[in-house]
Amino acid sequence: MSGNVNGSGPVLADFNQAVRPTSDPSGFLSEILGAPVTVKLNSGIVFKGDLQSVDGYMNIALERCREVLNGKVIHNWGDAFIRGNNVSYVCADNAITGR
Amino acid sequence: MSLEQLLPLELIDKCVGSQIWVIMNGGKEFTGKLLGFDDYVNMVLEDVTEIDPVEGNVKLPKILLNGNNICMMVPGGDGTSTFEDDMEE
Repeated sequence: MSGNVNGSGPVLADFNQAVRPTSDPSGFLSEILGAPVTVKLNSGIVFKGDLQSVDGYMNIALERCREVLNGKVIHNWGDAFIRGNNVSYVCADNAITGR
Repeated sequence: MSLEQLLPLELIDKCVGSQIWVIMNGGKEFTGKLLGFDDYVNMVLEDVTEIDPVEGNVKLPKILLNGNNICMMVPGGDGTSTFEDDMEE
C-alpha cells in the first residue's frame, strides 16, 4: 500500500496508524463506522443498517435502517437512532475473521 | 492468602486471543474468540455463535457485546459443557 512515489512518508505513516486494526471496543467501533451492521436489542428486535455513528453510551445512529424479523424485513426506518441501553450487541456483517 | 492474587479483569485479560464462553443475564449465551474488552466488560468477539434456548444458534463474524447484561465468562468454554457432564467426570 505504498502509493507514495516520492518517498516522503509521514502522512502515510499517520494513515496506517488510523487503519491499523484495533480490537478493544472503541477501536472496533471506529473500524466499522460506515459499514453494514446488525444491531440486536435486549428485547430480541434486530435492526440492520449502515453504522453512521456511536458514542460512549453505545447510542447508535443507523442509516438505511431496516427492522428484521425471522430473516424478513418488516420495516424500513431509514435514518434511525437507537438508545444505547437497549443494545445487546453490534455485529459487523462483512467482518473478515481469523487474522 | 496467596500473594499471586489474580484480579477479575486480569482473568479476562488473560483470555484475550482465546476462545471464551459468555453467559448473559437472560440465559442467552455467546461463544467465540475474545479480541478485546473495556472497563465495563464490553467485549469484542470473533467467530461468534449466539446460543439462544428459544431462537436456536446464530453465527456472527465479529461483534461488540454490551457488558451490561453479561453474567459470567468461562475461559476456553465452547458452550457444550453442562453441569451434568462435569458431575460424571
